[in-house]
Amino acid sequence: MNSPQWVLSTFQLVVALLGAAGASLGALFYFRRVRMDRPAVGRFNGRDVLILFTLLAILPAFYLLVPRWALESLLVITYMSALSIGFTPLLRPVALWLGIGLLIGADLWLGQHALGTVWGWQVFWTENSLIVMLAAISVANLYVQGGMQLRHVAWFAAGLAIYDSIFTIGFPITNLLVRDFVGYPLFPAMGMRISFNEAIVGLGDLLVYAAFTIAAYKAYGKRALQIAVTLILIFGAAMPTLSGLLINYIDARLDVIIPAQTWFGPAAIVCYFWMRRHYGPERTMKEYLASTDAVRREPPAPPTIPAEPAPEAVKPVSA
Amino acid sequence: MFETGVRQIRFAMGMVWGRRLDPDNVAKLVRDALGTLEEFGEPGAEVGELIDGPLHDPAARRDLANRGVRRTAARLAAQTQFYERRFAAAGVKPDKLDVAGLASIPVTVKRDLVERPEDFRCADVAPYLTTRTTGTTGRPAEIWLSRYEMDLWSSTGALAGVLRGEIGPDDVMQVNVSSRATASVQLDVAVCRLVGAGCRVLGIVPPDESLESLTTATQLATTPSYLAELETAARQRGMGPADFRLRTIDVGGEVLSPSLARAARETFGVANIRDLFAMTEVAPVTGRTCRQNHLHFDINVGLIEYLDLDTGEPAEPGALATVVITPFFPYRDCMPVFRYDTRDVVRVLDPSTLSCELAAMPGVGQIVGKADQLVRFGQNDIVTPRQLVEAVEALPTRPWPARYRVEVHDGRLGLTLPLSATAGLNDADAVRHFADHGLDVDLAFVSDDEATSLRPLRCDLHETTFAGRPAVIGA
Repeated sequence: MNSPQWVLSTFQLVVALLGAAGASLGALFYFRRVRMDRPAVGRFNGRDVLILFTLLAILPAFYLLVPRWALESLLVITYMSALSIGFTPLLRPVALWLGIGLLIGADLWLGQHALGTVWGWQVFWTENSLIVMLAAISVANLYVQGGMQLRHVAWFAAGLAIYDSIFTIGFPITNLLVRDFVGYPLFPAMGMRISFNEAIVGLGDLLVYAAFTIAAYKAYGKRALQIAVTLILIFGAAMPTLSGLLINYIDARLDVIIPAQTWFGPAAIVCYFWMRRHYGPERTMKEYLASTDAVRREPPAPPTIPAEPAPEAVKPVSA
Repeated sequence: MFETGVRQIRFAMGMVWGRRLDPDNVAKLVRDALGTLEEFGEPGAEVGELIDGPLHDPAARRDLANRGVRRTAARLAAQTQFYERRFAAAGVKPDKLDVAGLASIPVTVKRDLVERPEDFRCADVAPYLTTRTTGTTGRPAEIWLSRYEMDLWSSTGALAGVLRGEIGPDDVMQVNVSSRATASVQLDVAVCRLVGAGCRVLGIVPPDESLESLTTATQLATTPSYLAELETAARQRGMGPADFRLRTIDVGGEVLSPSLARAARETFGVANIRDLFAMTEVAPVTGRTCRQNHLHFDINVGLIEYLDLDTGEPAEPGALATVVITPFFPYRDCMPVFRYDTRDVVRVLDPSTLSCELAAMPGVGQIVGKADQLVRFGQNDIVTPRQLVEAVEALPTRPWPARYRVEVHDGRLGLTLPLSATAGLNDADAVRHFADHGLDVDLAFVSDDEATSLRPLRCDLHETTFAGRPAVIGA
């Protein structure tokens, strides 16, 4: 094993571990402490997984078909939405929008002006990673607090495993896209650079890890959480990096990139079935909030005006 | 979640644009709402906006009413003979009409409906179901409804019921209204089907037969007079709250007295008795009673006017008024009415004085009775059926449902009661009881056998059964 390959793999492992752990634990911290607003009617279901998967599947086409200004506009809107949804419950409107504006504005500026040096790249990646991490935490919570279940995340990850295997190993479109578009402002991945080498974890992967963590915790509690996080660190961060190292060691000419979900997807689905078999049906949000796993908060002060009781029925009772 | 969002947008856009809504879409929203409750235990915080609309904003209310009136008038002028003639005679252009210009159009009365029902049918709608008013206040009117209406009302009713926590899959609804009230019964059945609740339609059968099945029901839909019979029968059998698992009782169509409501709460162990306004002719416009006993109409689906009984002009706060209702298109489809005078009388309230939980919606006093049943002694000296029902039903003998007849002799109110109504009271005490309720009456009595002839009630629409009769083998 030559030294640069070993160093690069270690670097990739560190970035992957930091990304996976950061997204998972950040999402868990948020999930235990913040209740997001949700629509009057609606909960996440299997069709939503399909819709989400379809959107993710056609995302690369946007990079190829849409002009850069349109692509960046779309990303700005996407990140603004994700961050505002996630942090509205925590910040006053002025602080919220100032923060979002600064984060996204800085990313746009750095993406245009700071990429001439390694140090510039590192600043860009730090800033971009922060946005991507916060967005992943927000969106994962939006889905799971909106009713997404562990089985949804597991099937989503399994679908991504197939998709990533096809478009990374079979037809390396994803690899080409990453190479061509890395460094674009608001690039949907967190990462870092040392020398001329970069380590990247995609937003989709972070989203899966964050959602898997909190969905497992919501569904089955602390024991399931420990299993989920362990699984994420091994199959989501360590194995993809180390398997790449192993394959490159066997045949360095292959220069193979192993997509994270190729490892994590199957592990996630097996884990889900195992938990289902051992722990039974998943808890709903209602059951989670009623459990001892939910962080208890002081009840709100009694309202100064009488609370509105359940209004009367509207159905006619007599002709 | 994404699909639900699209459905909600379709629903909202249909309401805003005033186009026919898709009942299947609303039915799917009911399913979504059930899923939401299963997952979260309650709907999201903005549920009020979804089911009650923009009621808090007077400007939005005004705009909604103007657009509803215009849309409905334009359709009626084009599709019904009656309103084509009426608008032409009044010289109004329906598509230019607004609430301020309504006074030029005479109100529609029940006689119009009874005498010329075909003239009210919209030419562009296939009739599906006919329902008749019960006729307790005169010759019944026959109302045709379209399948669209029935599907829409049941799905919107189910959606509101689920989101308000009024009905759920674990409920069993017992329906004790006349089986001839086809629309009402079908709606109850359809709502239960959409929600996944059980539905037991019994009709106006002997109260003892209803009581037996009522022990397994969680919801009861009936009329105040039949509720009175049920309460009396339950009390006579020594039944109490422990024998029932009811959580709500819905009543409508008649006056519900505080005495009866209190007794029903105690006997059936129900905290929530909902006194509703519903009328076939003006469906789906309904009204509900708040904790302070105001009546609040649903102004999203129709225009509600309160017209002075003497002048026919909009009534001032404090005055008695007849309720005039215009159900809007697309909520009413087959045989709509425009400015229908229900002849139900309410006392108009000053909106600024409302402080109840439904104060965001316009409110009036409870219905005091039909306009032609008021007893007038002077401009401001009027005895209402509600006063009489409340006073009679407050008698210690609990003579429920109230049977009485009123006549005016030489400027005095004569009140005829069944003999047993004042049992245990001497004449002076009985007269004092009514005086305590603000009624200066001369009492007269008839035998109890004649009680039902004094005042027809909906519980008199008896339906017979074979229960209790010996079975005939081989018949």
